[in-house]
Formats: sequence, structure tokens, C-alpha cells
Amino acid sequence: MSAPFVVAVPSKGRLQENAEAFFTRAGLALAKPRGARDYRGTISGLDNVEIAYLSASEIAWQLSRGMVHLGVTGEDLVRESIVDADKRVLLIDNLGFGGANVVVAVPQAWIDVRTMADLDDVTTGFRAQHNRRMRIATKYINLTRSFFASHGIVDYRIVESAGATEGAPAVGTAEMIVDITTTGTTLAANGLKVLDDGVILRSQANLVASKDADWSGEARETARVILDHIAARARASKYREVRTRFKECDATLLAEAHNRFGVVSPFGGPTSSGMVTLHCPPAQLYALGSFLRAHGADTVSVASLDYVLDRDNPLFARLETFLRR
Amino acid sequence: MTLTAAPRATGTAAWADALLLPFAQAGYVKAEPAILQPAEPFLDLSGEDIRKSLYLTTDASGEELCLRPDLTIPVARDYLASDRCGQPAGFSYLGPVFRYRGGRPSEFLQAGIESFGRQDRAAADAEMLALALQATGAFGLSEVEIRTGDVALFNALIKALNLYPVWRRRLLKDFNRKINLAQDIERITLSTGPGHNEYEGVLAALAGSDRKAALALVTDLMSIAGTTNVGGRTVSEIADRFLEQSTLKSGALPPDALGLIKRFMAIEGDPGDAIAQLRTLAADAKLDITAAIDQLETRVGFMAARGIDTARTRFSTSFGRGLDYYTGFEFELHNKGNGVEPLVAGGRYDGLMTQLGAPAPIPAVGFSVWVEALTRLGRNPGSAS
Repeated sequence: MSAPFVVAVPSKGRLQENAEAFFTRAGLALAKPRGARDYRGTISGLDNVEIAYLSASEIAWQLSRGMVHLGVTGEDLVRESIVDADKRVLLIDNLGFGGANVVVAVPQAWIDVRTMADLDDVTTGFRAQHNRRMRIATKYINLTRSFFASHGIVDYRIVESAGATEGAPAVGTAEMIVDITTTGTTLAANGLKVLDDGVILRSQANLVASKDADWSGEARETARVILDHIAARARASKYREVRTRFKECDATLLAEAHNRFGVVSPFGGPTSSGMVTLHCPPAQLYALGSFLRAHGADTVSVASLDYVLDRDNPLFARLETFLRR
Repeated sequence: MTLTAAPRATGTAAWADALLLPFAQAGYVKAEPAILQPAEPFLDLSGEDIRKSLYLTTDASGEELCLRPDLTIPVARDYLASDRCGQPAGFSYLGPVFRYRGGRPSEFLQAGIESFGRQDRAAADAEMLALALQATGAFGLSEVEIRTGDVALFNALIKALNLYPVWRRRLLKDFNRKINLAQDIERITLSTGPGHNEYEGVLAALAGSDRKAALALVTDLMSIAGTTNVGGRTVSEIADRFLEQSTLKSGALPPDALGLIKRFMAIEGDPGDAIAQLRTLAADAKLDITAAIDQLETRVGFMAARGIDTARTRFSTSFGRGLDYYTGFEFELHNKGNGVEPLVAGGRYDGLMTQLGAPAPIPAVGFSVWVEALTRLGRNPGSAS
């Protein structure tokens, strides 16, 4: 038997729950055949796929080293821990959970500081006045360094912080912080504010592929099947199915519906009796229903879709392009 | 002969002898600082951005160490720790330095000179350029392009213009960092930063009011608000800069100052002409920058006395090496067709010693030789000539 295709999934907390729910929705049920405390799992129905349960930061590291083929991890960790991330891994798709921003936050008392340009001035003035550089507490050393460099700020030092970073300015181990925040409540509670242009990264959980993994023909085929499931589910969740039949329904009407509501007709135009199946973005459903009825439809039915299997697989196409580079 | 073997064989490599001999003859003692250095001085002097190119390690006691990324700071530290500290002393060096350079070898050779403690600054500056030209000459590269500048002139100009502190800080910083200064000058002429300031009304009300009273008001307000977390800055520091923004609001960089800075930055070419233009500018604008111009003129005189054809050197008021520890004379020697990388680069950094902990300022000037470029482009002085 050849080496398994490895998919890394976060091993704890909300991230794990969300990731498992994501795979389940895509029809890829994760199973732990040797019990819940096992750190290896499988996907029901897919042979030779191994699920590796790892911490989110370990997943980023293993992706960069090619030790796993695919992984679910935060973009913040990918950008922080992988040098030249875009060459070594591919962010295949945003997963819609695990959202948080990496931000620059300074004490609220700095009423004179609102922007990175202010910070540039203040850090230089501080160095001249106090004969040392301002300190930034963070675990995002690389993100901080490149963001500050892009703003031309040089008069600072990084203090590595493994936890409770937002407390550093109050206890005096740093003047400001770079940290991840979802609501900003913790920052405010610690007397900190985010600079107007201080958002370094809007991060969320991503499905990530490794460049250096063993991409044999078999591995590519496995990736294609997994990504096909995910793409089918992603396509399905973007639309609702709308069905109706009325004799005034023709190509002109559908073209108008397409332009106004973003509707697509996956199975072609209306039949001779005016029967049609449409896919419509959820937000436009009611408007579309009204539009169809105004043009003669007696009944319009709306149903949710579980999967939409297209000939094209945009996710796998991206992966193939990336692996060819 | 392979150059990669040279770090361990400098004593026998003929090209190394040819490079170092003129330095030894001029009285510079060979310095051999430790390869493993404390990381702190490098991070402190060069900023966090250097961290990505450092080879760092932490020892059992928790001290952060690095393989030396250059030799100036190690040579300076050894000098400061020696009993000659504060006395005039000159050092030469040749050895490996370690820097991540994205694809090119991380271990490479650097040579150079450091001159510490000499009060006759103009003469010492000129001696650096003369020795650097000898080094390139030893490799048969005599037609090098000589670029020079003097950041002390720009500093003197900005000081004499009597600008708001915020503009002074910004202009000096931009000059040192070698971002597009001209562009930034335009930007600050158009005034203020981007976006909406929530305190705009307050700032407008305070603009033009008695500064001392306004400062007291803001300071009091912050104390009443129970401001405790000030992140290392004092309340008066914050209040002071807050009020500075009201002065910024009330107008941009004065147009006459802008005109003078632009006129100053355009001065370049033959050093003699440049000096004449600088004197005219100072007289026209009634600016007291004479001392800095005198220093430049004296230096050019010493260069000529050392046999350097100064008409061949190119002086530019806007030449800066992009490192904020230079305080005066700066120079680079370039070979045609070698891209942006110089053969030799150096200058004066009178502030370095105090930053490294010297109790009193010690003058310092020196240069580094890009050995890789020199040995690649020049003829090997070790071969039969």
C-alpha cells in the first residue's frame, strides 16, 4: 500500500468542531475508528486518506514542510510561520469560520496616535527622548516586522509574548501590542485601541495545500475527489433551487432574471411548456419569486440544495495550477 | 586558489595580504573579534528588521546570541572594553560575516577599517577615502566612481530652518531612511495625515491659544480621566504631541522652507562647485550653516592633500546611506556594471560609541569592503603582475 494522503485538522476547540462540521457538510464524514482520543482518523468511504489531528500552528508548520497534503488552519498562522508562504502553500478556500483580525493596538491614552504614520513619528520621538526603542509584545513576529517595514517604521523592538499579550502595556513589559482579536472587547478591557489603519490581516480558517507534499498521481486523484466534494457543497450553499412553470417564461425573461438577481439556469432555458429550474442566491429569493409571479407564474417552489456537482472543479483547478508552478 | 577557503587562510592568501598591507602600513591594527556575538547591540542599533537576516541562538542562560552580521559593532565593542577606550585607535579587519541573503551564501567575507577617537575629523574622513581607494587600486580597479555626501549638512539646514519639531523629526528620519524624500516633502506640504480626526474640533479650538495653558488643560483632563496605562510615555509627552497636531492643522510646511530644502537637495556635482552653491544658498536665506560647510571644505582640502583628484569625486547633498547611525561624511565606491552594490562603503558615525555604552562621545569613522565584489571584478593581486 502506498503512503496515505494526509489531511491535517485542528485537534481541539471551536476550530476542530467547525472543521469537522465543514467536512461533514461536504459529505466527508471524519471518523476516529480507534476512539475519540486518537490523533489519527479517517474519512468514511475514502480509502488511503488519513486525518491527522494537530494544533493549528503545527498544521501550518507541517504544510510548509510537505508533511501533510491538505490542512485546515488560520491564515494568520500561515502568514506568520511560513517564509514565502505563497510559494510553499496554496490557500485553496476560505472556510467561513475562525475569523479574527491581527491588529496593532496602542494604549487608549495615546490621544495623539490614530494612524501608523502617527506611530512612526511617536516611535522615533520616543527613541530620541528615552534612548531606547518602543517595545511591541506579540507572537506574530514576522507579520509585525513586515507590516511595520511597509509603513517605514524602524524604531521599535519586538518582545516575544506567548500569552496574555494584551496585558503587556499595563504591566510595563511593552508599550504596545500586535495581537489577534475578534470583537475588540479584550483590547478595550485592557485600555487599548486599534489604530485606524492598524489591521495587519483579516484572517480566517482556510483549506490549505502544501507544495512539497508527495503529489503522486494517486495523491492528486484523492485531492480531486475531496475538493470535488467541497466544491459541490460550496456551490450548493451559494444557491437555492427555484422551480416554476408558466407559458410566458422564455429566454428573454431568464436573461432579465439573470441580470437582476444573479440567477443561473443550470439545465438550460425553459421547456416548451415553460418549465424551468433556476439557481438563485438566497438573498434574492423573494425578489425573484415576486418577479416570476408578476410575469405569470402561479406557483414558485424554493428548495435548498445539498450538493451541486459540476463538470468544472474550480478548487482542484487552482491546486493543479499551483502544483505546476 | 579558492576564495571560500580564505577565511581560514587569510594569513597565506596573497590577495588578502595585498588588501591588508596598506592598512597595516597606515598604522591600523588587525582586529579579530569573536564570531559569536550578543544579539542585543545589533538589534538595538539596526532595528528589528535585521532579525530576519541574523543567525540567532539562545544559550542556556537565556542570552540571545548571533553570528556576527558585520564587523563594525564587534570591533567597536572590543575597543570600548579595552584599556585604550577613548584614546585614538585604528583597526583593520578581514573575516567572515553571516547574514541570510535569500539564495546567496550566508557566510561571506568582509574587510574594512575603523578609526576611533580622532578629534581631527576632516583629516580622518579624508584618510578613509584614501585607504579605500588604495584597496580597490590593489585589485586593479582604479576607475571607480566615488560618491560622497554629508548628512551633517542636511541636519544643519533643518536645524537652521527653525521648523516645528514634528517636521524636523520627520525630515531627518526620511533623509536617513532613504525613502523618497522629495515625495514626502510634497506630502507634508499638503499637510496632515489621512482620515478624519475625532478631535478635530478641539484641536481647532486650541490652535493659536496659549501653549502652556493648553498643555495644562490637556494634562489635567487626562489625569481626571484616570489615565494610568500610558505605555511608557508620560502624560505630558502625549499632551505635548497632541497639541502639536493643532499646529499642524493650522498649516503646512512654510513654502519658503520647502523651496530652500528643494534648492539644497538639488546641489550636487564637483565638490568645489557644491561648496560655492551651498555658501550662496546660506547667504541668500540668511541661514547659519557655515560650520557644516566649513567642515566639508576642510575635508575636501585634506582629500586633495592626500593626492585624491577631487574633481573625480561626486558630491551630493542628498546622498545618504540609508542607515541612521551615520552623522557626517558618507561615501561609496562603485564599479561600473556592478549594479547597486558598492565595492566599498563607509562614513562617520560619531553617535555609535555612546549608543554602545561609552560614557562620553568618541568620534568614529570607517568603511567596509565588499570582498566578494572586489575579488570577482578586480584582478587578483596574488597572481603574477
